[in-house]
Amino acid sequence: MECVVQGIIETQHVEALEILLQGLCGVHKERLRVHEICLKSGPNLGFVSSEVRLLCDLEQPEPTWTVKYVGGAMRGAGAEQISVLVRSMVESKASKNVLRLFYALGYKLDHELLRVGFTFHFQRGAQITITVSCVNKMLKLHAIEEALPVTPGIQMVEVTAPATSENYTEVAAAVSSFCEYLAPLLHLSKPGVSTGVVPTAAAAAASLMSDGGGTTL
Amino acid sequence: MTGSTKRHRIALNLQIPVLFLHFVSLLRFGSVIGVSSVRRQFASFCPSPDKTMPLKWVLHWQPNAGSTVNSQILNEVSQCVESINGVKEGRWKATLTYYRPVIRDQSSASEFPRDFIGMSLPEQPNKYYFIIRVQRLVLEADSSIQMIMEKLQSYKSRVALNFEGFQYQLGDFQLRVGKVVPTHSENLRGIVMEVEYLPISSMDKSRQVMEEFVDIWKDAVSKRSLPGYFMHLEPNFSEYGLGDHYTPQHTAVQYAYVMAQLIASAQAVQAGRN
Repeated sequence: MECVVQGIIETQHVEALEILLQGLCGVHKERLRVHEICLKSGPNLGFVSSEVRLLCDLEQPEPTWTVKYVGGAMRGAGAEQISVLVRSMVESKASKNVLRLFYALGYKLDHELLRVGFTFHFQRGAQITITVSCVNKMLKLHAIEEALPVTPGIQMVEVTAPATSENYTEVAAAVSSFCEYLAPLLHLSKPGVSTGVVPTAAAAAASLMSDGGGTTL
Repeated sequence: MTGSTKRHRIALNLQIPVLFLHFVSLLRFGSVIGVSSVRRQFASFCPSPDKTMPLKWVLHWQPNAGSTVNSQILNEVSQCVESINGVKEGRWKATLTYYRPVIRDQSSASEFPRDFIGMSLPEQPNKYYFIIRVQRLVLEADSSIQMIMEKLQSYKSRVALNFEGFQYQLGDFQLRVGKVVPTHSENLRGIVMEVEYLPISSMDKSRQVMEEFVDIWKDAVSKRSLPGYFMHLEPNFSEYGLGDHYTPQHTAVQYAYVMAQLIASAQAVQAGRN
């Protein structure tokens, strides 16, 4: 299970966001370069269609693979009241032949992406991860070297934190609290609820660039 | 090297009573040379102990034609290990699950693997292994992959089997003798034995010492006149992309072959009855 919010930011303001995050998190960023392969079950497999993502971390000296399942969002009055999405999520590291296994099981390629950017991991009320990335599509199968941005000039920001059914309200509160610090640059909301770029971004970015990231939590 | 010298070298390594091998005087004389020569031979390619994944052969009990496996055989085998000074260390358990596809249209069943196996091993409690033998595919994943498979609802557990029994130490060897039983049942389906040689991870370099040990072991078992014998089948690991350096994936593949053999034997017995 995880808590998640997403937003977008213009590429020209990403450097300012990085300075802000550096100041807020107090840790160094990690480079991100992930090939994401989304698979769907074939037409006859399973009573309902299923989807699984295979993530290949290209930043490692030897690329590593992770199988990621993202389930449906939590529903009900409690879920409506909190400003982050709570959804089931399970991850598992796997050996490099995991794509071959899922093809053998009857899964088909739905789409693939290349995410390039950076992440910050830090602990503040929850184990929070902020990912800022340019999402690229591939024109040819697995041709990551020829990937092109899906939305040129716009990058995606995602804040996630692992949670359990016992602590998700506390984790959601920690994520919401953190998001408030980013508000001048970008607005973060539940996935699927698009809020666009914020009008104060340019001014906030200019301020941050001159301030040099002196802001701390 | 003569057969007796081979046995001797192994015997010392195993700390087996010399009487057991019927080469009393020769063994005693050559024992020190034997052990040291083995150690020297392997010293050059033995990584430090914390990096070594001990090499393992998985054997299964093959009943003679017309006979079946029973718990008395398992008892005799366990006694046999103890009779050669195997020191009982504790229990072990591995689990193997056959998965079946959840199919909307049964006519499309042939599109999906029929021998999709999942396995957990006691030496890697945080890992899980998938094997599709027909496609020569073995995958290592975190144990949370089982939860992902449950969530996907595209494959369901068809039958799950436990391999469980006792673990013994014999010098540089570790033996695990276990029964094969369905989970939630005591219906004995087979007997397996793991022979692990602790100092070596190379399949090729250990072949001789493993063959010698298994020969000795088979001799010991044969003296009990049991209606069957232990068999070792070595899969072609390179077909699975596995190298000479032993890994838990080698173990998972061996269990998949053992299961195929147990099923084939059971089917042969059934066909004979019919």
